Amino acid sequence: MRARRGRIVVAIVCAVSLLAAAPALAEETVSITEAGFSPNALGVPTNAFGSATIGSTNLPVPSPITHVDVYGPKGVTLNLEGTGTCERERLEQLGVQGCPADSKAGFGGGEGAYELAHEIINEAYTLDFFLADNKPGQVSLLIFLKGSTPVSIEIVFTATVITGPPPYGLGFSVEVPLIKVLPEASDASAKTAFLTLGAHNVAYYKKVHGKKKLFHVKGIILPKQCPHGGWPVASQFTFQDGSTVLAKRTVPCPK
Amino acid sequence: MRAPARALLLAGLAILGCAMPAAAQAATESSIRPSLLPDRLGASAALTLALRYSGGEEGVPTPVRTIVVQLPAGLGIDLRGVRSCAAARLRRQGAAGCGSGSLLGRGHATLEVHAGSQTLPEQAAVWVFRGPDRGSSATLEMLSQGYTPLDERTISTAVLAGDQGPHGLELTVSIPPIPTLVYEPDASVISLSLTISRAGAIAVPNSCPSGGFAFAAASTFADGSDATATANVPCP
Repeated sequence: MRARRGRIVVAIVCAVSLLAAAPALAEETVSITEAGFSPNALGVPTNAFGSATIGSTNLPVPSPITHVDVYGPKGVTLNLEGTGTCERERLEQLGVQGCPADSKAGFGGGEGAYELAHEIINEAYTLDFFLADNKPGQVSLLIFLKGSTPVSIEIVFTATVITGPPPYGLGFSVEVPLIKVLPEASDASAKTAFLTLGAHNVAYYKKVHGKKKLFHVKGIILPKQCPHGGWPVASQFTFQDGSTVLAKRTVPCPK
Repeated sequence: MRAPARALLLAGLAILGCAMPAAAQAATESSIRPSLLPDRLGASAALTLALRYSGGEEGVPTPVRTIVVQLPAGLGIDLRGVRSCAAARLRRQGAAGCGSGSLLGRGHATLEVHAGSQTLPEQAAVWVFRGPDRGSSATLEMLSQGYTPLDERTISTAVLAGDQGPHGLELTVSIPPIPTLVYEPDASVISLSLTISRAGAIAVPNSCPSGGFAFAAASTFADGSDATATANVPCP
């Protein structure tokens, strides 16, 4: 009887503790503020672009991102003929100058934040995407994250091309490392992010049979058909606190 | 970290945070380098105008929108016999869209494209054609064609009109925004060099004022700022 009463007391204490803790639990929010293709036309090479705002329901800074999966619409294909690749070691040692021009795959940036001495410090960052592997079926990217002000930071991490669940198609998956700009600072969080991937209008000179020839990279190619209602795209963010948020959006069909 | 050290670090960050934007918002500056070849009084010549832009945010000049080039008094421009060609033809077919009958000269431009953490240079070939007149003013159509990393074509229109003071004619060049990538700024012109070399189109003045032939270029940028540059070609 005494043991049973004890268990009840423990259960009540735990329940009260959980109730008390519930209002303090932060919940991350992700909003895709923009997503689209430029140009937006059936069956053409394009630049895929998108932007997102990441927030927290009750904290000034959301939990740091640990993983992102970005899904494009079904039917999107990649044609990386004419592209080059970049080695991670060269990117880490030499920065973006270490990667050949024809390995560039996209650009982006946003605003990050971290806590330092009870102050929230905001820092703009840029993203440079390079092809690490351009072989069909095993395409991967290197992402060079750079922040300059107030603290200089450069980090390289990788993304792999994946196929999302229906109704999605090709996308990419990024394992985001925890970023500490200073030993005393909290792990950095992203508050906003934007990116453009693809090779619309991109061309490089290549030597073909000893002659210099302008080679147009196709990159991301839009499907030849667009489903009723538009092309679905989505991003799934996983945060350091273990939470996951799936943000969806639809890109209107070309007119 | 102890409190004073922490305060010092925050103060340092604050100073950096305040100092960096000020340094980053440097104004865009311009220079002009004109030349006449041959530089003989009254001679038919080739006129070269070389403009250069520097400064700007993170070392990238703000995109230029308008350039007003003032040419020296007495400089002759004769477009008789030069056929006009519409910009639409250049837009559709590139330089091949306008025949040699309307070609006045060629040139070269260097542009910079800011993307991610990088500033990417782009070289462009430039052709200058006579465009359709606007009332009593002659126009020039300038086709700029870059190939790598972006295969992009831009057409700028210049209007030739009279000017006053030490200058003769005034050439007003309107440069459209040159889009690059979504979320990234328009391309910036770093340098632009044009040579009007069509036989008989340019004539060196018959007399040279003290100090030489005066040229000036007033540029207006996308952010509303402007810059002026002057240069003299020494008397022959």
